[in-house]
Amino acid sequence: MKINLDEIFDYTSFNVDRDPHIKLDEQICKICDQRSCVNCCPARCYTWDEEKQKMTFVHDGCLECGTCYVVCENDAFTRWRYPRGGFGVCFRMT
Amino acid sequence: MKRTFDAIVVGAGPAGSSAALTMAKSGLSVALLERGAFPGEKNMFGGVLHRLTALEEYFPDFWNQAPWERHIVKKNLSFMTPGSSFSVSFDNEEADTPPYNGYTIFRPKFDNWLAQEAVKAGATLLNRSTVDDVIREDGKIVGVTLLRDGAELRAPVVIAADGVLSFTAKKAGLRQGKFSTENQGVCIKALIDMPKEVIDDRFGLVREQGASNEIVGNSAGVRGGTFLYTNYDSLSLGMVLELGSLTKTDKTPYDLLNNIMEQPQMSKLLRGGKLLEYSAHLVPKGGYDMIPELVGDGIMVAGDAAALCIITGLNLEGINLASQSGVLAGKAAIEAHKQQNFSKQSLAVYKKMLEESYVLKDLKMYRRTPQMLHNDRIYNQYPELICGVMDEIYRIDGTPKETMTKLLLRKVKETVGLKNMLADVYSGWRAL
Repeated sequence: MKINLDEIFDYTSFNVDRDPHIKLDEQICKICDQRSCVNCCPARCYTWDEEKQKMTFVHDGCLECGTCYVVCENDAFTRWRYPRGGFGVCFRMT
Repeated sequence: MKRTFDAIVVGAGPAGSSAALTMAKSGLSVALLERGAFPGEKNMFGGVLHRLTALEEYFPDFWNQAPWERHIVKKNLSFMTPGSSFSVSFDNEEADTPPYNGYTIFRPKFDNWLAQEAVKAGATLLNRSTVDDVIREDGKIVGVTLLRDGAELRAPVVIAADGVLSFTAKKAGLRQGKFSTENQGVCIKALIDMPKEVIDDRFGLVREQGASNEIVGNSAGVRGGTFLYTNYDSLSLGMVLELGSLTKTDKTPYDLLNNIMEQPQMSKLLRGGKLLEYSAHLVPKGGYDMIPELVGDGIMVAGDAAALCIITGLNLEGINLASQSGVLAGKAAIEAHKQQNFSKQSLAVYKKMLEESYVLKDLKMYRRTPQMLHNDRIYNQYPELICGVMDEIYRIDGTPKETMTKLLLRKVKETVGLKNMLADVYSGWRAL
């Protein structure tokens, strides 16, 4: 048994909103030398592309835990809010 | 949409629903806002639901009404290294009769139940309602707007029970600036399917008895701990990892949890289990010194939003403090309606009641604990020391034995260091 985030949609349910609830200022991420969001996000929503020098955030599998909001030292968010009512992660049991 | 109520509660978790229930029972019209499709849908925790003394007035036989999984009779504390584990177990018959001291629960079920009780008492539950901002008039909070085409709800008093990041408290100016990464932990959890009989046999339980296990060590040096709880026919395995410490590594939370799952003693307990659900959330772990302003003009803050959490390693309390704070905020709102005065001075009675209750008394008593837990040796060297000493005590390898004193001194020097140990014992004593 192992947590494999490639399969997260097999065990955690989401009602994905078209409109992302978190948006980044790519210029701030580009000059950030910490990028703690990449390893701290428990859902692996943040990926840094070294070649393109670009941070990508994918909101589809976001668990809405708040980790990135706290670890981002440069406040790179142009938007950080919870999804609109009824959208986002849906825990069934847990 | 524009509607007016006597009170608005933001967040239908344990704090919010306790507040809504209290106010609705006294006849106030209450809007209880939940951003999920139903209360509990967004909620997870890495814990045990402790006895909710604050709600016993409303549910004298709570255990017959609330949906729970197992009641806790057995508490284990373990120190773990990559290959060994030393445990202390407290199994208590006293905990086997109601009122039970603690339960394992599923939040989507439990939180929904409590919110529905508030609805039965007359509260208006508005699901799918994410708050966008507070409405301010003459410096007072008089309502909230929703992230839903300009919907507006008004009330002379708002209770912010919207969880650890509480944007409601922030927008009302009660919480300033950024959170410290040292004051926040990320809790991740795997829910693991396992037949009831297997759990009973493996953990030494009968009927609906449950066990809780708190584990220190084997977290690759990251400050934090592991928990394993028995539900009726599933296990909850998770970790709480301090963000300040996690940011200093390149480790991911899920790799650390996978590493725990593969640890030999743990993997025996999990054998045959199947992953059902994976969840995560922040835990406010800064204690007393992290508490924001609790009241403002027309607003009070309760539960995780007010950072009312106690994490000592031995005790992990949250929902009991949340529900107590919710009830007290509700009572303060009722009083404010009687006086028709919703100013900060009038609502300060909430803070006073919290100070007189066990909530702020306990948080104050454990004020030094978060600092004590910022000691990296707890998560690395001490588990190594304890398991190393046990290994040498039990090991028969044809060499003569040392006296216990010599063995202990040598092991302490090898791992923690004598000076460090004395300092840690002192600070640990002060903190707990």
